[in-house]
Formats: sequence, structure tokens, C-alpha cells
Amino acid sequence: MPLDELLIAIALAAYTLGALALIFYFFTRRTWLRDVGAPLAITGCVAQFAQLAARFEMTHVWPLLNLYGSLSLFSAMSVAIYIVFAFRYRLWFAGGLVLALAAIFLAYGVTWYEGTMPPVPSLQSYWAKIHVPIVVSSYAAFLVAFAFSCIYLLKYYGERRAGGAVARWLAALPSLPQLDVIVYRAVAIGLPLITVGIITGAMWAKEAWGAYWQWDPKETAALFSWIIYLAYMHLHTRHAWRGLRTSWVSVIGFVSIIFCYLGVNIWISGLHSYKV
Amino acid sequence: MLYGEFVRTFGSVLFAVSLFLVWGLLTLIGVIVDQGQDPSVYFQSYAAPIARAILRLSFDNIYHSPWYVGIVGLILLSLAVCTFKRVIPARLPPLRPVTIDKIPLHETFETHGEAADVRRRIAELLAGRGWRIRERVFGGAEWSFADKHDWARRGVLVAHAGFVIVAAGTTLYWARGFAGEFPLLTGQTTQIARTDAIVRLKRFDYTIAPIMTKSGMVYQPVDYVSHVVVSGKDGVPKAMTVRVNHPIDIDGTLYYQASYGFGVRFNVTHDGKRDARLSNRTLLEGDSFDLPGTNRTVQYDRFVPTVDKSGMPSADPRVNDPAVALGASEGGNSIGEALVPMRTWIDLGDGWRVTPAQYLLYSGFQYRYDPGVPLVGIGAFVLLAGLVISFYFLPARLYVRVEPVAPGRSRVGAAATTVKGYDVFGSEFGRLAATLRREFGGETS
Repeated sequence: MPLDELLIAIALAAYTLGALALIFYFFTRRTWLRDVGAPLAITGCVAQFAQLAARFEMTHVWPLLNLYGSLSLFSAMSVAIYIVFAFRYRLWFAGGLVLALAAIFLAYGVTWYEGTMPPVPSLQSYWAKIHVPIVVSSYAAFLVAFAFSCIYLLKYYGERRAGGAVARWLAALPSLPQLDVIVYRAVAIGLPLITVGIITGAMWAKEAWGAYWQWDPKETAALFSWIIYLAYMHLHTRHAWRGLRTSWVSVIGFVSIIFCYLGVNIWISGLHSYKV
Repeated sequence: MLYGEFVRTFGSVLFAVSLFLVWGLLTLIGVIVDQGQDPSVYFQSYAAPIARAILRLSFDNIYHSPWYVGIVGLILLSLAVCTFKRVIPARLPPLRPVTIDKIPLHETFETHGEAADVRRRIAELLAGRGWRIRERVFGGAEWSFADKHDWARRGVLVAHAGFVIVAAGTTLYWARGFAGEFPLLTGQTTQIARTDAIVRLKRFDYTIAPIMTKSGMVYQPVDYVSHVVVSGKDGVPKAMTVRVNHPIDIDGTLYYQASYGFGVRFNVTHDGKRDARLSNRTLLEGDSFDLPGTNRTVQYDRFVPTVDKSGMPSADPRVNDPAVALGASEGGNSIGEALVPMRTWIDLGDGWRVTPAQYLLYSGFQYRYDPGVPLVGIGAFVLLAGLVISFYFLPARLYVRVEPVAPGRSRVGAAATTVKGYDVFGSEFGRLAATLRREFGGETS
């Protein structure tokens, strides 16, 4: 098995096992599960970055120019951002959801693997090394925001309906305002990144196609996502809207990101329809 | 009164967010509905009432529709009102005493030392961490106020200014810019009317790599390059190459490699006699000609570089065994389509025969003059700087009250507020409070 495929297999296995460990940790709070899950998350993340580097070294083709490569970076960056959050704010309890999503996206990315191909002329640009990682990293930050929004909503609705052991378990999670701040911090990483991503994409488009904005479906879908997160940030300035409503906006924002990332690439033809 | 209502409405964040949602919705419609298609395409793709609605509401060209331009205009207006009525006046509260334990972020502890000395040491500690200290006396009580990143409250203003500069740059292109496209057959020369530049295509080359992938053979385009001779205002011809991602600049207008294709010269005969007028033209894909004395039109639909053994178009885009896809119509109604191999003829009735005789590569170019680019670039940078300032530099204020409780013993009370509420500063305040307790040996008050 070539080194890059071996590393992908390691990452996939580490994420899957890590997700299981951290999901059980989420429900049971047994610390040994966290002590197993956290190293697995780090192992998977390191293996993925090593895989991208190995692939570049082996093929001399920038590895992010197809869905296989970009989904690989997406899941690696999601886990990397999550790990930073987990260390800084002690949030290992949420790792199960992030790792499960990372494993799903990575596995989906592997289905697009077609071998090594030279890039099409429009992708032969130094901008590919700037624009793509930035945009994918912004998507990753939004995935982390989405995961914590889901936990926020789970706690919010759970506290209103559940009693007994479930209520006690929910009480062990960070408070709703704390979860809201975590979502805000993740969006505060994603929004500037997607802004830079749209700007660098526009600069690349200017160089490749003659216009920095052509109302291509990918561009407009990214603009749509940007608008959603802009709305999130504006709503977050209002005390009454912070928390429940902004969490829902974050969830909707991530759905729009997935539509922009995968839906437009796969189902809608346009200037970004490279697919494989 | 009307002015007051206008300012209240357009200065409201919720109104701005409502505009964002409408903007987002219109943008999403543009993603889902194919833009700039012929009306018939919408009637083929959607039920008739929906297709009619798409056309009547200009959803087929939504980004240039009155709705879209109008909503962006309203957002700019709302942004301007918000900037002047909310963002610029927004500041941390004035320096005044507060009830420490009524502020959600607060800490109180007792420590050894005279109040003045403790106050001085706290001020030094905070100043060392980037806080700006000001001291005031209210009703005989001494208060220390510490501000951090107060300048960062202008981040939103900077971001809004960036958005306006981007809009100005875009408007400048609409007002003074231009763009166009033109195909050039190998050896052909053209003069661009808007710029007077002269462009001649010496040669067009393309490289396509056949690659065996896991799901079969893929023909991957690797390079498109036009070798041209251009002369601008100085009239001096220069040999240049135009590649994708590598436009050339002639007198401030950029020329881009956009597409390529095959022009075809047809040999058209009537009752065995060559029609010189129709036979001397080279048609590009999509071009058509009428057969004299009939209602019939022949359209050169596309060039097929390779036909397979069964006579069908192959996926291989390299020219191996080429053919030409032709369509014929009578009085505007299609009467048939055919794939005609090069140098073979097809009978079109009434004695007319058409033979694709020769093919020639052409290169498609785009050109664009956009004086708004520097402004858009500056605006994008300013917008980004505003976002970074807004998100990563939180203006915060500490209220510190040190009062004596006994000789050689003081009580320290500290509270914090920010322009974005308390929760977002909770962990940082917690660390700061822990530092104060550690440094001053704080005991719970």
C-alpha cells in the first residue's frame, strides 16, 4: 500500500475509534475514554497532514485541487481547530461529534480518489496554494461552530424537557452562555477566513478569467454563506438574540457551507466544476 | 419625525439583518436558477407558471435585476446610518463608580497592605499587561479604571468603510470599465474597437494528457497557449503568449485566454457546382448559413475531434478521426442533425451538398478594462482589517476599588464590562482575577 493511502487509512481508523471513545466520554464522563479519544484525534490529524505532504512529495501535484484532497484537508483542519479549542477551553467532551463528522467527510473524500492527475490549466496557479487552504480552513472552523451549536441546542431543549439523570448529565456540560461564546469564537475564526478566501478567490478569478466576480454558482453560494455568518455576527451584538437564535443561524450557516462546498461542486455546473 | 423614523429603522441591527436575509435569499435563487439562459430553457426546466415567474421577476438575470441592486443599495444605506448613528458614537461607559458585585464579572478579596500601596501595585500589574489606567475620586472614594483595546471599537467602522470602498470600486467598473470577447482563427488579425489594439494569432497550442484513472480513461487538458503578435498605442508589434492564469496587458487592458475551438471551411455545391460565396468562409461553432433558393438553414453545431468505430463521438478530445456535427432547419424548425466525417459529403436536398473540407484551430480571448480594481483591493483589505479588529481585540473596562478594612489590610473589588457583553470576556476575567488573587495573596472577602 502506498504511504499516502496508508496514512489515510490510519487517519480514518483513528477518527472512527476516537469518535467512539469521545462519544462515550460525552455520555458517561469517564476520563479514561477522554484519555483514549484525545490522542486518537491528534494521531488522525497528524496522519492526515502527513498524508497531504506525502502525496505532494510523491506526485508533485498540489494535493488540494480535487474533492479527495480538499475534503482531506477539510477534515484535518476541522480536527486541528477542534484540538486547539479543546486544549484551550477544555472541551474534549464535544470531540465525538467533530471526529465523527471528520471521519464521514474523509471517507466521502476517499470515494472521489481517482489517482494522480495533472491540474487543468485554470488550476495551475500559485493562488491554488493560497485560496484553497484558506477557504477549506474557514469551512473547518464553521464545522466546529456547528458542532458546538448542536450541543448548545441539545442542552437548551434538553433542559426544558428532561428530568432526573438526563438533567444532571446536561448540567455537567458547560453553561449555555459558555457554549454560545465557543460558537462565537469558532465563527470569529471562520468569518475572517472565508472573507480572505472570497477575496483571494476573486484575485485568482481576475487573473484566470478576467473578472474578479462573475456570479458563478460557487462564488454566489460562498457569498450566501458569508451573508449568513455576517447576519450571525450582527445578531450576536444583540443580547436578546445571543444563544438560541444565533445557534440556529450557525446551524443554517453550516448547511449553506456544505451546499457551497459539495452541492455546487457536484450538482451545479459552473466555473468551479472540477469535481475529481 | 419622518427623519427620526428613517434613522430608527435604518439604524436598527435587526433591520440590517433582515436586509441580509433578503440579499441571501436572492443570491441563493441566483445559485439555483441558471442565469442568462434563453427563455425556452426555463420552460423546459420548470413548470410553465414557475418559468413565467422566473422571467417576469428577472430571476433569470437576478444579479442585475432591480431587486438585487435595490437590496444592495438598501444595505449600503443601512450600513451608513448604522455607522453614523450607532458605531461611531458607541463607546465604553463614562468613568463612574459602580456597584462591583452587581456586575456579573466581579471578584472581591481581602489582602495585606495599605490601600494606597495595593492600589499602586494593582495599577502596575495591569499596566504591565497592556491596560491603560486612570484614577478618579468620587465622593472621597478612590477608583481605578483600566481600559484595554478601546481603539478596537472602531473595528466595525473600519469594516463598514471597507464594504463601502468595495462598492465604490465596483461602481467605477460599471461607470468606466468595459469588457468583451473575440475569437481569432490561426493567422487571423483583428483590431479591438474600444482600445485600438491589434492582435494577430500566430498559433494556438493545446496539450491534453490521457490518464488512466480508477474509473477509466480521462483526457485531462493540461495547457492552452496562444502565440500572438500585438500592437498597442505605440504601434510597435510585440510577440507575446497568452495562457490561462497569465493574461497580457496592452495599454492597461488585460487580454485573457478564454476558450478554443475549431473553425471549419465547408465545400458547398449545388447540382455539382461549387458555391464560392458559401465555400470561402470559415465557420465557428454555432455559426450557420442559408441555402439560397430554399427555406433551409445549416448550422455548424460543434467539432467532434474523434469518432469511434461505431461512428459516434468519442470522449477523446484530441484530433484523430474528426467529424462535424451539423443541424438543419427549415423555416426555423429543426429537420435533422448529422455527424459528418471530414471530407465526406451530406445531401441536403434540392441538389445541395455540404462537405466539411478543412478545419482550423481558433482561440477565444476575453479583454477587460477595470479601473475599479485598486479600489476593490483596498476595500477588501480594509474590510478584512475591520473584521480582524472587531473579532480579536475586545474593548474592555475594569473597575477596581481598593479600600482599607483595617490597619495594614485592604479589600480589593474588581469588575469588568465589555462592548460585547460579559460572557465573551468570562474566561479572560477569570484568569485575571486568579492572577490578582495569586499576586496579592487574596482571601475570600
